[in-house]
Amino acid sequence: MPDRFAAGTRVRTFPYDPPHHTRLPRYARGKPGVVVEPEERAPLADLSAQGRADAPVEQVYAVRFAARDLWGEGDHHVVLDLWESYLEEVPDER
Amino acid sequence: MSGDHSDAAIARRVRRLETLLEEKGVLTGARLDEIIDAFVTGATPANGARVVARAWTDPAYKARLLSDGTAAVRELGYMKGGYERLRVVENTENAHNVIVCTLCSCYPLFLLGPSPSWYKSEAYRSRVVRDPRAVLAEFGLHLPADTRITVWDSSAETRYMVLPRRPADTEGLSEEQLAALVTRNALIGTAAL
Amino acid sequence: MARINDVGGTVGFGAIDTTDDPEPFHADWEARVAGLLLALRAEGLFQLNEFRDAIESIPPARYLTTSYYERWFTAICSLLERKGVLAPGELDEREPGGRGETEAADA
Repeated sequence: MPDRFAAGTRVRTFPYDPPHHTRLPRYARGKPGVVVEPEERAPLADLSAQGRADAPVEQVYAVRFAARDLWGEGDHHVVLDLWESYLEEVPDER
Repeated sequence: MSGDHSDAAIARRVRRLETLLEEKGVLTGARLDEIIDAFVTGATPANGARVVARAWTDPAYKARLLSDGTAAVRELGYMKGGYERLRVVENTENAHNVIVCTLCSCYPLFLLGPSPSWYKSEAYRSRVVRDPRAVLAEFGLHLPADTRITVWDSSAETRYMVLPRRPADTEGLSEEQLAALVTRNALIGTAAL
Repeated sequence: MARINDVGGTVGFGAIDTTDDPEPFHADWEARVAGLLLALRAEGLFQLNEFRDAIESIPPARYLTTSYYERWFTAICSLLERKGVLAPGELDEREPGGRGETEAADA
């Protein structure tokens, strides 16, 4: 199966605020980032944490965020490993 | 001391759980001993140090390590049975990497052994993604203002290890001597060498 | 509804105790608890994400006042109850002399 997002793809994380286990930290919800690389495929943590055997196996991506986008300031970057469900592509505005 | 008392109380509860599990046929004490021994003796920061020393002395190995960390450490006998993936991130003159897990305490256990207490602390986990420069300074690591810092927040099945910069004036050292210079904090990114 | 474990960017946890403690465990029971997690996962009793979920479900006030491996132990016990390996309260019933007995005899 081809990866949905190639390295360099501009993405945005979903702003959804789930009442259950998730691996998208709140500080990175609804934030723009850039895919560093596709990583492993793994069962979606939100569902496997509930003991469900039917959690979909998804591609996980390393995604880089600028501190300014996360915190409004700072010159560092943060990379998170995020399931495909957490991401949507940002259309190229140029 | 209330701390000692509570420690003794939880130790007794743990023992009771072990007894119950044994009675129910879930897990024997001998099996548990085996697992603990394998864990404590199998994984220590010396493993990561050995990987780093190999990368410093063998450019082809270093290239493999940075492109596929899992396969490269398997060459040295580590991570044989793990399902996790390893990514090694390289520090350079202009770029510094540091590792955290803000959601729990993910760490390359299979390679470095159990993590230090500070790595698991709320103080470290809450602040290093927000202000890594100040956090690194608390560890005594003062980076130049133009050093680019990347914080790797392990939130899925990939685990990270930092490849620190090789110290100056170490050309004559053997791989073993080089490995002895590598500290655990340098492999996490809270120290330079 | 972020959970108490989701601390990235939270202010107020203070300075970091940067002491480099080479000892992986500070009491024997901590090693036993770490071993229990490895062993019970190897037995297929639960997945790692279920364990994380159980830790995150500890009420915040209690979460913040218990030690790292104590959280692990609490989570393991609650998972074993959820999976039906332990009956609710079964561990408490094994207190010497029953629930509520003073611990003085062991002190």
